[in-house]
Amino acid sequence: MTRLILILTGLALLPSAGWAQPTSPLEKYRKLRFPARDENFAKGWQERVALEYEIINAADLRALRNALKDADPFVRAMAARALGIRGDRDSADTLAELVSGDKEYSVRLRAVESLGYLRMKPEAIQRAIKDRNPGVSWVAKLAADQLKSETDHARQLREAYATPIKREAMGTAKVGQPAPDFTALTCDGKPFKLSTVLGKKPIAIYFAAYDG
Amino acid sequence: MHQQAQLRLKKDEVEKLGADVYVVLAMDLHRTRVFKEENRLLSTFKGPFSREKSLVYATALSDPAGYASALYGVARKCLRWGAWVENQPHWIVIDRKGTITFMLEPRFDTPTAYEKDVDQVLEALKKAALR
Repeated sequence: MTRLILILTGLALLPSAGWAQPTSPLEKYRKLRFPARDENFAKGWQERVALEYEIINAADLRALRNALKDADPFVRAMAARALGIRGDRDSADTLAELVSGDKEYSVRLRAVESLGYLRMKPEAIQRAIKDRNPGVSWVAKLAADQLKSETDHARQLREAYATPIKREAMGTAKVGQPAPDFTALTCDGKPFKLSTVLGKKPIAIYFAAYDG
Repeated sequence: MHQQAQLRLKKDEVEKLGADVYVVLAMDLHRTRVFKEENRLLSTFKGPFSREKSLVYATALSDPAGYASALYGVARKCLRWGAWVENQPHWIVIDRKGTITFMLEPRFDTPTAYEKDVDQVLEALKKAALR
């Protein structure tokens, strides 16, 4: 009997000893210490960036599809974004439903953005152009452009997310320090590497928000 | 966009310094092209920049996964004032040796704050050109 109790106690303790199932990236996003709410704007962004990479690169597709119906709007929005970038055409119907019916603007915005990446559901995108929120309407207009485009924007995004960023590298740019190198795309789709111009001429870089 | 619109008014001064200017967007290539080539945003308001077709003089770069933005510490991926924001705008100036000499986080606290911001960037570029 004593042996049985010891075995059962041991089994109960296993999860806390590191034997628990690893937490999925979506679960980690749900449990963020600083979720993407206004009050956390300047806090915890490194974790939000890292998890976005992890979700887009590695989250289970079925879990992402289920997350479109999650109670947490941040999780729904992130799942919508990831499914568009992953090119999951099976999620188009649900994304179109979110575009029309989700009460949270950020979910409608991500859902219509993803329909643009998938180049599907033009009627839902057209409806979103008339969305009451100007941000959703703006993104819907861009998604409508993408419907007509030959470029696979989802693939470009997948390729960009495939280069992982290390947590310790985030925010390392400081006055007095060498400028960290990065690669981005020019408007004609060619790769641009900062190091090709560094050390040759003075450079100004503006990191923009769309309206900044 | 106001920062970029203001900067192009100083294009000659930037060119005289032999400087390169880049604007990085944590967005896909299509959005970056629209930002660079079409004045869709400010053309919807009444203002000094409303009638021009394109307002961006700098070389526009698409940073679709926000890698550069995270490296430079400007990524946010968060709501602010109820709207989704990928990046907190920042200016960075780098001298001829490849060293960062200036960082500025615009405050947007007055309707014309961008004028002073761009003047500060030009001053920093002048110093960076001498180093």
